Amino acid sequence: MAKKNFVLSGLMQSKVTWAVIAELLILMVCFMIRPDFFSISYQPSTGMLYGSLIDIINRSAEITIISMGMTLVIALGGTDLSVGALVAVAGAIALKFLRWDVLTYTTPGDYTVCPYILVLTIPLIVCALMGLFNGFLVAKGGIQPIIATLILMVCGRGVAQILTDGKQFTTGYSPFRIIGQGSFLYLPMPIIITIVVVIAVALFTRKTAFGAFVESVGVNPSASRLSGIKADKIILIVFLITGLLSGIAGLIYSSRIMSNDSNNAGLNFEMDAILAVVIGGTNMSGGKFSLAGTVVGSLIIRTIVTFVYYFGIVAEATMAFKALIIAVVIILQSEPVRKYFAKRSRVREAVLISGGER
Amino acid sequence: MSEKNILEMQKISISFPGVKALDKVNFSLREGEIHSLLGENGAGKSTLIKCLTGVNQKDEGKILLDGNEIQPSGPHEAMELGISTVFQEVNLCPNLSVAENIFVGRQPMKRGGIDWKEINSRAYELMSRFHLDIDVTRPLSYYSTAIQQMTSIARAVDVKAKILILDEPTSSLDENEVQLLFDVMRDLKAQGMGIIFITHFLDQIYAVSDRMTILRNGHLVGTFDINELTKFELVTKMVGKDMDVIFNLQRAKVFKDADYMLKAEHIGDISHINDISINLKKGELIGFAGLLGSGRTETAEMLFGATRAVKGDIFIDGQKTQIRNPFDAINADIAFCPEDRKRDGIIGDLSIRENIMLAVQSRKGFMKPMTKAEQTELADKYIKLLKIATPDCEKKAGELSGGNQQKVILARWMADNPKVLILDEPTRGIDIGAKAEIQRLMLEMCTEGVSVIFISSELDEIIRCSNRIVIMRDREKVAEIDGENCTQQDILKIIAEGAA
Amino acid sequence: MKSHMKKQSFITRITNPKYIMVYATIGIFFVIYGFGAFLYGDKGFTTIRTFVNLFIDNAYFGISAVGMTMVLITGGIDLSVGAVASLTGMFIAYGTSVLNLHPLVCIFAALVMGVGLGLLMGCVIHYLNVPPFITTLTGMFFARGVCSLISRESIDIKHPFIDSLASWKIYLMKYSEGSWVKIKPIAFINFNVILFIIMIIIGTYILQKTRFGRNIYAIGGNEQSASLMGLPVGRTKVLVYGFNGLCSVLAGISYALYVKSGWNLSLQGGELEVITCAVIGGTLLTGGVGYMIGTLFGVLLKSVIPALITFNGNLLSWWGKIATGLLLLLFICIQRFVVTSSSKRK
Repeated sequence: MAKKNFVLSGLMQSKVTWAVIAELLILMVCFMIRPDFFSISYQPSTGMLYGSLIDIINRSAEITIISMGMTLVIALGGTDLSVGALVAVAGAIALKFLRWDVLTYTTPGDYTVCPYILVLTIPLIVCALMGLFNGFLVAKGGIQPIIATLILMVCGRGVAQILTDGKQFTTGYSPFRIIGQGSFLYLPMPIIITIVVVIAVALFTRKTAFGAFVESVGVNPSASRLSGIKADKIILIVFLITGLLSGIAGLIYSSRIMSNDSNNAGLNFEMDAILAVVIGGTNMSGGKFSLAGTVVGSLIIRTIVTFVYYFGIVAEATMAFKALIIAVVIILQSEPVRKYFAKRSRVREAVLISGGER
Repeated sequence: MSEKNILEMQKISISFPGVKALDKVNFSLREGEIHSLLGENGAGKSTLIKCLTGVNQKDEGKILLDGNEIQPSGPHEAMELGISTVFQEVNLCPNLSVAENIFVGRQPMKRGGIDWKEINSRAYELMSRFHLDIDVTRPLSYYSTAIQQMTSIARAVDVKAKILILDEPTSSLDENEVQLLFDVMRDLKAQGMGIIFITHFLDQIYAVSDRMTILRNGHLVGTFDINELTKFELVTKMVGKDMDVIFNLQRAKVFKDADYMLKAEHIGDISHINDISINLKKGELIGFAGLLGSGRTETAEMLFGATRAVKGDIFIDGQKTQIRNPFDAINADIAFCPEDRKRDGIIGDLSIRENIMLAVQSRKGFMKPMTKAEQTELADKYIKLLKIATPDCEKKAGELSGGNQQKVILARWMADNPKVLILDEPTRGIDIGAKAEIQRLMLEMCTEGVSVIFISSELDEIIRCSNRIVIMRDREKVAEIDGENCTQQDILKIIAEGAA
Repeated sequence: MKSHMKKQSFITRITNPKYIMVYATIGIFFVIYGFGAFLYGDKGFTTIRTFVNLFIDNAYFGISAVGMTMVLITGGIDLSVGAVASLTGMFIAYGTSVLNLHPLVCIFAALVMGVGLGLLMGCVIHYLNVPPFITTLTGMFFARGVCSLISRESIDIKHPFIDSLASWKIYLMKYSEGSWVKIKPIAFINFNVILFIIMIIIGTYILQKTRFGRNIYAIGGNEQSASLMGLPVGRTKVLVYGFNGLCSVLAGISYALYVKSGWNLSLQGGELEVITCAVIGGTLLTGGVGYMIGTLFGVLLKSVIPALITFNGNLLSWWGKIATGLLLLLFICIQRFVVTSSSKRK
């Protein structure tokens, strides 16, 4: 009994719990408005499952993937502002390799100019290198992550524009379409990619000591170094991972629209990713992180958007509602409020115990 | 010193959930008196101070200032009542100038704006009263800790305080700076200010105090005139148990023909240390004595690779070894407990388990993880061995007391089975009981064949434990003497005069 | 003793390490300006008109940067400024064109909204301990969303009051042959420029001459110490965000006068441009350091680059972004160097 109470008050104080409750509440409201909300149907023509839930997970793929890296950056006590710009860069490079020279290959079609393997790998390599550049500034230059990554955030889109001469390419190359619009095991491809990424990051951090090292460096870099942890290496790896994941998200994004859009691709992704991480219960000052929480956070953000659509509100205005709901979640998670609830539940427990004794 | 009490605290009681932090404690302070407040960690000294400054609210009792009852609601209100506090860690803003730190929040105004000229000249006068001729317009971070501490006191003095509370002001000062502080304290006392002085250094209490009040476990042991108690009686009253444990430590036994475990020949770094050589036998304990800034810490950091040695050679167990960073040092079986526990040692938000496994794990690299069961087993073993006071190994290390944190760091290194253990001020800021415990552990490790370098500001504990004592002065090793047949006077003489 | 100090004071004041970043900003501005003068001097880069245009084209950034500098000095950040400015423009456009209100009424409503949102965010940041980044990000989403709720189309502002305010200008004159004539090529100062200059002056006054301003620095230096020294930390922080809200609204008015329309997506990413201005002006994102004069030159420095690219005529405007990024890199490296060398203890 005491143990159970202990677990309960532990749950009440955990930020992840609040995130899960919030997500469930939003889903419940959706269900009340649209009773068919949870229904999932199979469409033989595309070989895919359809339904609002599937759609939410599918559409949250880019943010979920990026926020896996962002979780690690935030656990280190930093933030990466450049991820949105990297999404644009990845798309620009991929389309550049697919079309190469618009003057020779004037019409978009089901072809690629450069080998497909380059179309997939070069953007990822470039994004990983850009991540490494961020990491280098932070680890070796000792610069605050938020400022270091501001550099690529400011000039990343410029680089993307120059790579494509400021033009927007489109393509019809079908293998490229699969990344964002194809399916596997009845599920949309982005979901599969997301699952693979989440599991890979989770295994890498939790089945090795990498996660513990990240947390240790995030809490106290100096003490970590003196305990033999190569903090520089950890920081470099984390930023490299984040860059790489941004690249993957960039490929998914550009495959969805089969085009590059250096102005709008990945716009505000850094903000959404950071929000997802924070809603998921990872503290912005670094330390303990929760990948599961981040996934929930990312789903919350997407669910809110879907939820608002149901009210028939214009797409751009969803932001206002997103803000309101996020504000509620974050205020509920904030330290003073959680302490208040924890205190109240302790008082209730105390009353229960003393009542029992009598 | 007059007999008039400016402050009286009567029957103060404070409880926290599960603990009675103070139980009907009386305390009084006279005009123009330096009154030391003593007790081990957890005795209630800081709770009493926090009650006086309004950080913690009392459950019972009265505070009378000049005969009027007061109930300050926070440090700010206490300050306005005339009670100023200088904390152990400098609580000022590093980015503001020295002058501004003294006057911020109460700047003199002239014609609708802050009168900077007035601020700077008044600050300069204040600092020169402390015999400091410095440019007060430079940012505080530009100056040493001692000057920062003085700035803090200058601020406290200038608010026309009647009572000045100094909470461990000396722990980061060297001998000269302490003397400077004492001069200032005596000056203030002569002007009729009442000073409450908290410190762990017994010598300092006898050097400046008029009276002392001793607390133990939230209870008042008594208030005494300074001549009433000898040091030994004082310590006995503080600890409340027989002090033989502390004073009967067995020095490590070193065999004459033991091999050299660590040999550092003519090592030096870029800025601090030019040329130093250290030899350490298996199972031997060397004490490093010297003032703050004499190069003790810098030498230790170099041996551990925290700063890089740019010249000289280091031999571990006869093997020439390259130590470029702490990772290399750990691979060479060297361990290092740094001076600043909070900044460089403990990782507060992680559990005790994670803190203990860190060194072992980082030697293995993150790709070869220990399972959680292995970690727990390791942590539990050391919690038991070192008597770390915690319900289980999942408690956050940051929530432990100072002494227990130090034990966790010690456990981190013991778990790594080092051959050489470097301890930089492992006993600073922890109570006497825990101090004795750590000294005992240190000596036990020596008997198991570990070689120890022990750095401390407290000469008596160095003399008590060391086989040999290396004396540092002005970033050079000036002498190496036998630990068994030397006195504090011998060492002080060498520190003061430079030669053996 | 005292005279000894006075003698030193001028030199020590000048060489005080805390001013190095401001000198760097001013220096690099003049280097780049000189570079432009060398390359495009014959095309009119050195004229007063070009210089004044730097102010006219970037006044709204500058006005917002005044508030942002204060927020950054406290160690915070405000991402909502672009959205709040955009919402202000939308208030004016929708109010005058659709609701037929007087612009002053719209401006008043915008002020209430902007300052209110700022104060609210300040409270959430201080009392609920939510990181400023997250709080103001939510504020940005909110303001942007409300903008889109009002209208998704760009609305032109057509109101005599706004027209007269936007076209009001003072021509720069020179005295020649016994009478005042307009300088050639014609250069003028408009309402926005005056507002910008006034805000810089007010900002400087607040930061250097008021206790409130010094409390801002103290909080940025060490918040815990500031509160132990008895400074009103909570009130100061909340008011700083409120003041920044005011600056965002003024920036929005200035932008509305500049483009004479309101659009829900205007000034997207503006917050980061403003932060960039402050950072290259020598403000530390870690808090505690920053000067209005630095921010002024930060704004000029950031705006001289697009001017250069315009004068070149062949370069894609994207190079401007890359150049700004490189500039940022340069400044961050200088800051890094200055911080490490000045914190070395004596």
